Amino acid sequence: MWEAFQTLFQVDNLFFLFVGTSVGIVVGAIPGLTASMLIALTLPLTFHMMPVNAVTLLIGEYVGGISGGLITAILLRMPGTPASIVTTFDGYPMAMNGQPQRALALGIMASVVGGIISWFFLAGMSPLLAKFALQFGPWEYFGLVMMALVMLAALTQGSVIKGLLGAVLGMAFALPGIDSTTGRGRLTFEIDSLLSGFGLLPVLIGAFAISQILKETAAPIAPGPGFKLPKGKLPVYWKDARNHGANMARSGVIGTWIGLLPGIGGNIAALVSYTTTRQLSKEPEKFGSGHEPGVVSGETANNASIGGALIPLITMGIPGSVTEAILIGALTIHSLQPGPLLFQNAPEIAYGIIAAYLVANLLMLALMWSTVRYIAMITQLPRPGLLTGILVFCVVGSYAVNNSYTDVWVMLAFGAIGLGLEKCGVPLGPFVIGFVLSPICEEKLRAALMMSDGNVADVLTRPYALLFLAVALLTLCLPLFASGKKAGLAPPSEEGKA
Amino acid sequence: MTKMNKRTLATGVGACALLLGSSFGLTTFAGKTDAHAADFPSKPIEVVVPFKPGGRTDTVARLLGKKIQEKGWLSQPFVIVNAAGGGGANAVSRMKRGDTDGHTAVHWHHQMLISIAMGLGNYDLSAFRSLGYTGGGSPVWAVRADSPFNSLEDVVNHLKKEPRSLVEAVGIGSIPHFVGAMLSKQGGFETRYVTANSGADRLRLLLGGTADIALFAASEYTAQGKGLKALVYFGKERLPNLPDLPTALELGYDVSWANPNWWLVPAGTPDAEADAISAALEKAIADPDIIKYFKANTLQPYWVPGAAAMEDAKKQLSSLKPIAETIN
Repeated sequence: MWEAFQTLFQVDNLFFLFVGTSVGIVVGAIPGLTASMLIALTLPLTFHMMPVNAVTLLIGEYVGGISGGLITAILLRMPGTPASIVTTFDGYPMAMNGQPQRALALGIMASVVGGIISWFFLAGMSPLLAKFALQFGPWEYFGLVMMALVMLAALTQGSVIKGLLGAVLGMAFALPGIDSTTGRGRLTFEIDSLLSGFGLLPVLIGAFAISQILKETAAPIAPGPGFKLPKGKLPVYWKDARNHGANMARSGVIGTWIGLLPGIGGNIAALVSYTTTRQLSKEPEKFGSGHEPGVVSGETANNASIGGALIPLITMGIPGSVTEAILIGALTIHSLQPGPLLFQNAPEIAYGIIAAYLVANLLMLALMWSTVRYIAMITQLPRPGLLTGILVFCVVGSYAVNNSYTDVWVMLAFGAIGLGLEKCGVPLGPFVIGFVLSPICEEKLRAALMMSDGNVADVLTRPYALLFLAVALLTLCLPLFASGKKAGLAPPSEEGKA
Repeated sequence: MTKMNKRTLATGVGACALLLGSSFGLTTFAGKTDAHAADFPSKPIEVVVPFKPGGRTDTVARLLGKKIQEKGWLSQPFVIVNAAGGGGANAVSRMKRGDTDGHTAVHWHHQMLISIAMGLGNYDLSAFRSLGYTGGGSPVWAVRADSPFNSLEDVVNHLKKEPRSLVEAVGIGSIPHFVGAMLSKQGGFETRYVTANSGADRLRLLLGGTADIALFAASEYTAQGKGLKALVYFGKERLPNLPDLPTALELGYDVSWANPNWWLVPAGTPDAEADAISAALEKAIADPDIIKYFKANTLQPYWVPGAAAMEDAKKQLSSLKPIAETIN
């Protein structure tokens, strides 16, 4: 491991890590462009590089890409990457309340802490954790996702009907496409482009960024108040360690844990840890109105999920996300096959990934910390120009996912849908969550039933699955007993202010 | 302050432009070394890959394209366009929107035949003109290393005694499903399925004990070292990397799956243009660097010309259709 750090601190590796991280942050911050897109675009360049250089570049892009998303999530309420959705819930209200720098600073700190927490798991107990995560079969995935769904349903206690309406609509839009349990098209109406369903990115970008652009075009928001920047001092204090320490630790562990499970990404990690934090909070009613723990838990968890996802990748060769599948592709070009043999065949790569992950997080901190005061001024830019630029990137990004114009139309359509939902007071959170989680939930349940020949009682033999389902049940029932005095989460919109 | 703003923004935009420029720039300018270029190709050839970047089909397309460009076997480079999703339907519609003069091609494999057999997407083989196979690879059937089964015979005997007692990780309507189904049909045995959408998923389910059997690319299998035990190889002949592993044909099952790297153009593409690309591909697959990559990744480098490849595919398709009918 020590040698890996030494290798990493050679000029070329450090250079690639720096380039990767900084480009990653910029791309991550732009709504529509994501880390996986950047990595896919860089892939051909890595063919000509030394394997270690290639890996440091890609890891830098990965970490930077996930971290950069918080900038636009907080300042413009447009998640730069899907992993930053929950950051819009509290980060944007904070920015609107005149604390954009505080929100950014907290988000950055949380990202780094999340990264470091998951690095300890990655460096210290990868083989053990990977083995544990492997025990998760379809029943456990189903239980986990069900738990997350129910917890998120609890998010909208205020307007249960509208929250549920949003969630159900989200689920409905997740239905078309190839049904993975039968291999046949479902609700595709003989339209070929519907065979791949509605893509995650076009839907998210549409519902959040495009709807926001439409809204601001209709009713322009005045540029934020011209805040004076305190020289040389950023609004993060030692007392934050006390106030947010427990939250960060918990969210870091949740994020690492969810990242460990292949196929469940940073966005779900952030969602689950956000709701957990809110469930445990003494003042849950403050979430959604610019509450600091909300920003902290989401940003800690989404960065921690990267470290978690790297665990099955380097120990088993199992990619946890699209981004990592591309990372594997980059390695195979150099005839390196990630898997248990990687530590024997190419220790410099296996340990290099671990070391690069830590250094990328630190670089990300340095880069974002030194520029945060300027980043915060994005809100001061003339809105028409800013929104036009973002719109261009949204179109490019949606197109680039699958090189398909269909996705661009899908994005625009969901922009209109998102705007319509908000106008009717239907919160976007449950809508997107239903869209993201229900396909996993459905697929895993059907896989579990397929595996057990349709025997539902089979779940009784799976303790973890039972545990998750029990938590789900509790979450669902507890509020019924406790009188419904909690004022639910206000949807992340500024209905009141508009 | 505004100056600072602009600078931050400019750095961002600049970085993106640099990145875009560097990947597109490579493909637009570097290929023009061949001064005596015939009129074909007159612009970069768009190669549609129906998968996300990083997989085998994508990597092989990029490597061959790079080699052809490097050696100047075609006067213009390949530009790889990934159009994943919809069981390949996105890639086909992308191809149909493209040129029919040789500037649009597709690099795929026999998953296309499965999509056709399953009726996904409104196309069949008549939409394509085959350029040829540039080698391919065959999968293995594997169990966990600690499994009590040491041969295919063990598994088959067990399943005949206790039908449906083992779980097979497959993506319904994907290659693992069809290969497994061909084998079980021949052998007269039956497994239970659990959905697994990718090689990574199958690996996860098998190693974690959720599934008992799964199909892997030979390279996926060898990367796992001692974690897995391969029972049978689906190639026509034994794989040099795994000399002790018997083929299904040797064991008396008439099942083989040689998943080729198949190059295609739209049906209307003229002979001269199609032949020009075929000729370049044939040279590329015989190149020592490419052969080295193929062998290291348990793929076989070979060349099958366009018409012969189409014949082979039609034969394979006819054996897939009866299996597709059994899926409801």
